[in-house]
Amino acid sequence: MERQRRTCAETCLELLSIELVHYYAAQNQAPLAASTEAIGFRVGRQLAERCTWDRPRLVEQLDVMKFICKEFWIELFQKQVDNLRTNHRGTFVLKDSNFRWLSKLSVDLPPPIKGPPADTQGGAADKGTPRESNGALPTSPTASEAAQDYLHLPCAIIRGALTHLGLPCTVSADASALPACDFTINIRAS
Amino acid sequence: MVLVCASVVGRANNPLYFRSLLPGGDAEILKFQYIVHCALDAVEEKVTSPQRRSGDAVESYLGLLYPTEDYRVYGYISNTRIKLMLIVDDHVARDDEMRQVFKKFHQAYVDAASNPFYTANTPLTSKRFDSTVTAKLTPRT
Repeated sequence: MERQRRTCAETCLELLSIELVHYYAAQNQAPLAASTEAIGFRVGRQLAERCTWDRPRLVEQLDVMKFICKEFWIELFQKQVDNLRTNHRGTFVLKDSNFRWLSKLSVDLPPPIKGPPADTQGGAADKGTPRESNGALPTSPTASEAAQDYLHLPCAIIRGALTHLGLPCTVSADASALPACDFTINIRAS
Repeated sequence: MVLVCASVVGRANNPLYFRSLLPGGDAEILKFQYIVHCALDAVEEKVTSPQRRSGDAVESYLGLLYPTEDYRVYGYISNTRIKLMLIVDDHVARDDEMRQVFKKFHQAYVDAASNPFYTANTPLTSKRFDSTVTAKLTPRT
């Protein structure tokens, strides 16, 4: 309340997230997923502690989910979740139509194809036929695969926050349609 | 308002922090730990009681938990199910006054728990937390 909020450039977070994946991917001691999950879980716990300290108590499951979708999401990703769906049996799907932490992910970096739009002329067609079929199709699995590495951290942060707000759960993310990202939360029955 | 003892209890009712400034020694400490322990049942009761009107914001401050002959125990529960308890040696402790004290207490806890070197659910050993809380307690001669 009396303390003023300190701010920090968002780029720092992005670079940190990139370097985190990079660093743990290069290390051989522990798998990348486990290491980043552990970090994220801890961060989620502390964020939950800090974000909820002056809020009224979140009693119902739905209260907690709403808090995650609104305040917590804004705190982390500067926007609200765009769509929240539930089957009323402990599964929630949070759809973020423009997930910020992946917005700068370079989708078509790995394939060396330079110009899918320029392949209309016949010059390249005579020898480039095997890989030339379409630029978009072969890149999409690698894009979501690449995104997967960067999604361990946000998933674990959400899991950590939910667990410490009293909802032990599992969180998985699906980034097949890239600027959008779906988070599926399965709450374990207590 | 005379605060004689402050205590933090974790989500599994495990003690995280306990501080009393009375000069009574071990017997006194034991007595307070016993009181806090008893008050945990009252916390449980307040948290699980269904007497809640829909649309009503539920407060973290739980109010008076458990009066003994000499003391009164006040409680507070955070969203992360951490319980804060204060033992007051007074007959009139105003609720809004207690709320303020608990808010400060909770803020101190959040700061201490956000320390990257602190492991969740282990006893709080932070010196700053200790001195913030101890400053709130009233030493008696």
